[in-house]
Amino acid sequence: MEEKNKSIGKAVNRIDGILKITGKATYATDYPAKNMAFAVIFKSTIAAGTITNIDTTLAEKAKGVLTVITHKNAPKLNEKGGIRGGALLQSPEILFYGQNIGVVVAETFEQATHAAHLIKVDYQKKEGKTDFEKLAPSAATPKGKELADLVRGDAKGTLNTAAIKVEEIYETPIEHHHPMEPHSTIAVWEDDKVILYNGSQIINGAQTAAAETLNLKPEQVRIVSPFIGGGFGSKGGQWANLILTAVAAKAISRPVKLALTRQQMFNSVGLRQQNIQKISLGATKEGKLISLAHETTTQTAIDNEFLEPCGDCSKIMYEVPNSLISYKVAPMNIILPTYTRGPGKSTGSFALESAMDELAHKLKMDPIELRLKNEPQKDPSNGKPWSSRKTVECLKEGAKAFGWEKRKPTPGTNKIGDDLIGYGVACGTYPARQRDSSAIVKLTKSGANVLATVEIAASDLGTGTNTILAQTAADGLGISLEYITVKLGDSNLPPAAGSVGSVGAASFANAVNDACTKITDELLVKSGKQFFVRPTAYQLMVSENISEFQTRVDAKAPKEADQYSAHSFNANFAEVRVNALTGMVKVTRFLAVTGAGKILNPKTARSQIIGGNIWGIGMALSEESVIDPRWGNFATRSFGDYHVPSNLDVGKLDAMFINEDDKIPNKMGVKGIGEVGIVGVAAAIANAIFNATGKRIRKLPTTPDKLI
Amino acid sequence: MRPFKYTSTNSTSDATNLLVKNPNAHFLAGGTNLIDLMKEDVERPDELIDLTRLDLTSVSAITTGLNNGGVTIGAVGKNTDAANHQLIRQNFPLLTKAILAGASAQIRNMATNGGNLLQRTRCSYFYDTAMPCNKRSPGTGCAAKEGINRMHAIFGWSEDCVAVYPSDMAIALSALDANVKVMQADGKIRSIPIQDFHRLPGNHPEKDNNLNRGDLITSIEIPKNKFAAHSAYVKVRDRNSYAFALVSVAAGLELDGNKIVSAHISMGGVAHKPWRALKSEAFLKGKAATTANFKAAAEAEMVDAKTLSHNKFKVDLGKNTIVSALEIALRGTDSKA
Ligand SMILES: Cc1cc2nc3c(=O)[nH]c(=O)nc-3n(C[C@H](O)[C@H](O)[C@H](O)COP(=O)(O)OP(=O)(O)OC[C@H]3O[C@@H](n4cnc5c(N)ncnc54)[C@H](O)[C@@H]3O)c2cc1C
Ligand code: SF4
Repeated sequence: MEEKNKSIGKAVNRIDGILKITGKATYATDYPAKNMAFAVIFKSTIAAGTITNIDTTLAEKAKGVLTVITHKNAPKLNEKGGIRGGALLQSPEILFYGQNIGVVVAETFEQATHAAHLIKVDYQKKEGKTDFEKLAPSAATPKGKELADLVRGDAKGTLNTAAIKVEEIYETPIEHHHPMEPHSTIAVWEDDKVILYNGSQIINGAQTAAAETLNLKPEQVRIVSPFIGGGFGSKGGQWANLILTAVAAKAISRPVKLALTRQQMFNSVGLRQQNIQKISLGATKEGKLISLAHETTTQTAIDNEFLEPCGDCSKIMYEVPNSLISYKVAPMNIILPTYTRGPGKSTGSFALESAMDELAHKLKMDPIELRLKNEPQKDPSNGKPWSSRKTVECLKEGAKAFGWEKRKPTPGTNKIGDDLIGYGVACGTYPARQRDSSAIVKLTKSGANVLATVEIAASDLGTGTNTILAQTAADGLGISLEYITVKLGDSNLPPAAGSVGSVGAASFANAVNDACTKITDELLVKSGKQFFVRPTAYQLMVSENISEFQTRVDAKAPKEADQYSAHSFNANFAEVRVNALTGMVKVTRFLAVTGAGKILNPKTARSQIIGGNIWGIGMALSEESVIDPRWGNFATRSFGDYHVPSNLDVGKLDAMFINEDDKIPNKMGVKGIGEVGIVGVAAAIANAIFNATGKRIRKLPTTPDKLI
Repeated sequence: MRPFKYTSTNSTSDATNLLVKNPNAHFLAGGTNLIDLMKEDVERPDELIDLTRLDLTSVSAITTGLNNGGVTIGAVGKNTDAANHQLIRQNFPLLTKAILAGASAQIRNMATNGGNLLQRTRCSYFYDTAMPCNKRSPGTGCAAKEGINRMHAIFGWSEDCVAVYPSDMAIALSALDANVKVMQADGKIRSIPIQDFHRLPGNHPEKDNNLNRGDLITSIEIPKNKFAAHSAYVKVRDRNSYAFALVSVAAGLELDGNKIVSAHISMGGVAHKPWRALKSEAFLKGKAATTANFKAAAEAEMVDAKTLSHNKFKVDLGKNTIVSALEIALRGTDSKA
């Protein structure tokens, strides 16, 4: 097909945009069900101990209440079935504050909520592990093998010999995902099968976890999730609320709806853990790195280990002969941490890229120049060649577009009125991977047109997956976009990877693309003809007058992909204004320049990048969940306390993509952009704040008190 | 939320009578604070008496009496309408600025002027019924005193409560020496100077203010003053919009050339009530409007601050914010912050 007729690469509007703005898109709780009842979870008010008594008498008598489920009457579930964070009402033991301890089911949400307030719980309290600062010194080596120490050369030894050293500790707080749509489910049983309407980033993962936990076979569970109001990792794994909805519906033999409240979101669906990262950089006087150590101390749940890999960026960003990446973890009475946008990379890059800025400052060198000096020709962690790496282009073209030359190298010298102005730069990266996914393409002739349906159990977090798959099919079949229907978000469809770890676009689009190639091949065979120019599936359907045709593929990543190191890379540029008196910061301009392979749709891609940037602004300036160690509860309990960026915090945002033709990671050359958009953002802003004020922020978020 | 009865009336005397009749009844205005607190099970009324049909919404000039030249603002009028009213924008721009620095456009469209004065503290322990809190449940203790108290008071707190009062509007009203007009349950009208309206926590943090049961706020009156040309509201917060103040300062200057005839300064985010910085005001009276004097004035007030474990920064922030507000006021009300 001629480039100009192609849909891929064009800024096509979302095909489901109208459905969304008119409220017709069906999110998890939007499904009608006859005779629906409403469930409300209630939670523990201690962090560690045992429930000695739970008095539900008043609640059971309250108007509209159908049943109250606690550990005393909950069905036996498989706690190793793949649900994250436990809290499945299987025992009276309490492992964290806000653990689910029961569910009230009533005719209305209000009745259930009211009845939940009437429940009295007695506990035998134990001393909880709730104070990270106290526990951090005794943190131990993690159990997970992938987080074992990674040693190349002798980082500590060479550090001592380095002409210039940076040794600093960078801290990031607990953050929460808080997607716009809180986790919510409708469960409908039909005999021994259950349909779960539930926002799920991994459709098949949710299906398997639900089935195993409920002691069912996968085919007895259907997940329906065509629209998701964001997830950011919190809907990657599934949590107890999904299962408890199914349990409640079973208990009363009626459909049940259960939506977490915003307040409950703080201790129901994971979090990004608090990290203490020590970076040690050693460099020559000329700015060549000779030593890099990235040592992370973090926290996890008391009974289960999850750590984000904070050292990942440090493994591959720079050419350095001596390197050490290590982790220590302290188990605590908190909900299990989980994948959170740019897991390990957004927090890890804050540490690494702040330290690089500190090094540049000590060297009196432009921070861009320092990075260019240490650009690795191959992946330093494993010696593999890059499939492609555009850091240099990102830095150089970004600097030009941003007006980097206007940066004043001496901190605190750019002043307008009471405002100090500063520029900062930081790089980021995220792996590019394709994961196994299957897809079916069905073609139907309808008059002069051919209608196509693409079926794949992919998920669309709101990122535009629907749209890019329609574009892929349009090009792959030679059919225009309006005749394409994409069916996703349903476990009855062919199994697929998830919208997690930036694998979605590569995995889904390649599966659909392969299916389009295959259906065209099969139509060619069916026609029994030879063509000079390969016809499209559309042309074949018409010329051969075929009324219906379909095929299925099981797509896999190219075998050679393994021999290369494939990642997206970016450079982030921030301009901030800091009020010298009040310490309030505004990010007036932000530019992210990304090399992420083929950009399927510049419009949805831009939204992904600037969305990541905005969360990065929150991470840099305002987002923090605070635990009161006396109880182990969150003192930040609502959007009134947990400050996501407001419009006024976000200045002018720009996203630029560097052209990159890299078919190594997958045939379509897609690298993924969901995660990389947040990587490096907080560091760029912190570096800009240093440039503005001369104050180095090593503990996020940068609230005004840290700058006065 | 617990079940409750909903009653509505267009008569002020009915409203107060209904309230007195049922000890568990609450007035309902915009509901932006009360309904939230009911959802959290902090407030537990069994009856709500809706005030929004009362004819108490207008903003008008006062043309007689003691406050001649001032303005009266209906208690049931919306925050947005008060902020944008021509009389207020022209004569009391400080109030406009303070109201617009609060909450969000949507909330200000719902929130009423009377309800704003009576909004309760944002102390997160107050909101969490699993936590001890003397304000919510007298005698249970104060979780914030030794807890996460970054947002809490540095002036006038007691062992029983260290909460701060969250309204922005009231900080401006305090600098403007407003009076709160109240209709009592017996039908009599009483006028309470804003400085006496809210309380320090003392031994009774459950009482935010000096209203009696059955008191209905009918209006807020602002007397005439000479601050319109030189006033400023500076609110320092964790993000640029839609967050409560860490520290805020409302400042009005009456100038004669470069000489300060009179300065009114009130602080938010530092105490259980709007905190009039009387020592700063006294220092500035009659002095030249210079940065050095502003700094010394700020110092004079802040020496008395008593900080808690997480809010030590409020002392320096308080000083800087006073200076910032005075500088902006000096440059002129319409100058950029
Ligand atoms: C997310 C959020 C952010 C906010 N941010 C800010 C902020 O930054 N700054 C700020 O200043 N405010 C802020 N607010 C608070 C907001 O200004 C108040 O909620 C609002 O002003 C309350 O007014 P209302 O009419 O809704 O009161 P309601 O909630 O209806 O009532 C509050 C109380 O006042 C009583 N009451 C109401 N009217 C009268 C009357 N006429 N006489 C006697 N009693 C009466 C009620 O019984 C009730 O106890 C925020 C609120 C929210 C929800
Ligand atoms: S500061 Fe006041 S409101 Fe907060 S916990 Fe203590 S008593 Fe309650």
